[in-house]
Amino acid sequence: MNVEVRDYQGMKVMALSGEIDMYSSPALREEMMGLLDQRVTPLLIDFRGVSYIDSSGIATFVEGLKRMMSYGGRLKLIGLLEEVREIFSFSKLDQVFEIYGSFEDALRR
Amino acid sequence: MNDLAVIKIQSDPKYLSVIRTVTAKVGELYGLSESGIKDVKLAVDEACSNVIKHTYRGDPHQPIVVKYRMTKKGFEVLIEDTGVKVQPESIEGRNLDEVRPGGLGVHLIKRAFDIFQFDQRKRKGNRLRLIRFRK
Repeated sequence: MNVEVRDYQGMKVMALSGEIDMYSSPALREEMMGLLDQRVTPLLIDFRGVSYIDSSGIATFVEGLKRMMSYGGRLKLIGLLEEVREIFSFSKLDQVFEIYGSFEDALRR
Repeated sequence: MNDLAVIKIQSDPKYLSVIRTVTAKVGELYGLSESGIKDVKLAVDEACSNVIKHTYRGDPHQPIVVKYRMTKKGFEVLIEDTGVKVQPESIEGRNLDEVRPGGLGVHLIKRAFDIFQFDQRKRKGNRLRLIRFRK
């Protein structure tokens, strides 16, 4: 998995690519928590390059969301492929996370 | 000999991608549907992650053996380790209405497989038996 943090119209974006599993999720967690330590909001997660996610990856985002909620931050997940979105849906987390099809949608709301 | 495929890895999370690749390929060879292959790939990944995390408590140098075979019942996967005995009654996924990290893996395993059972005859370590019935 690859993680790239960049700025987009004054907001922080974490662009992810590859597979998120028990091996790669610790690096993802470290990168995300580093941003959350600075109370970044909103944080946009670009999922377009993510082909796979397991429960450790899901747990990382749940932890991040809870942390952001503690300071009123917003976590926006963008461009989830069907295989990845289906896991969020199965775990009923699609009702908890803000999930958008595109950057335009995420910025509008 | 039964139609059988076996893979052995050490309990290092970096090898989980190998398990996923092999599981998907064996599922394909055994004629599983595309969605079935995705489900069993994720489930076997979750089961091996549990072995690494709970049975070996993060020690990356222990063995995990995964055996695949097609039987009359269906697609069977055996996952063997030599770690501490799992207490099957202690395995419980979280309520899916509850938003918290953890407790999702067991749901993903049970979604893919109709039988989820620890073989109590194994003396040292654990043997998890998973079967996905022929559809």
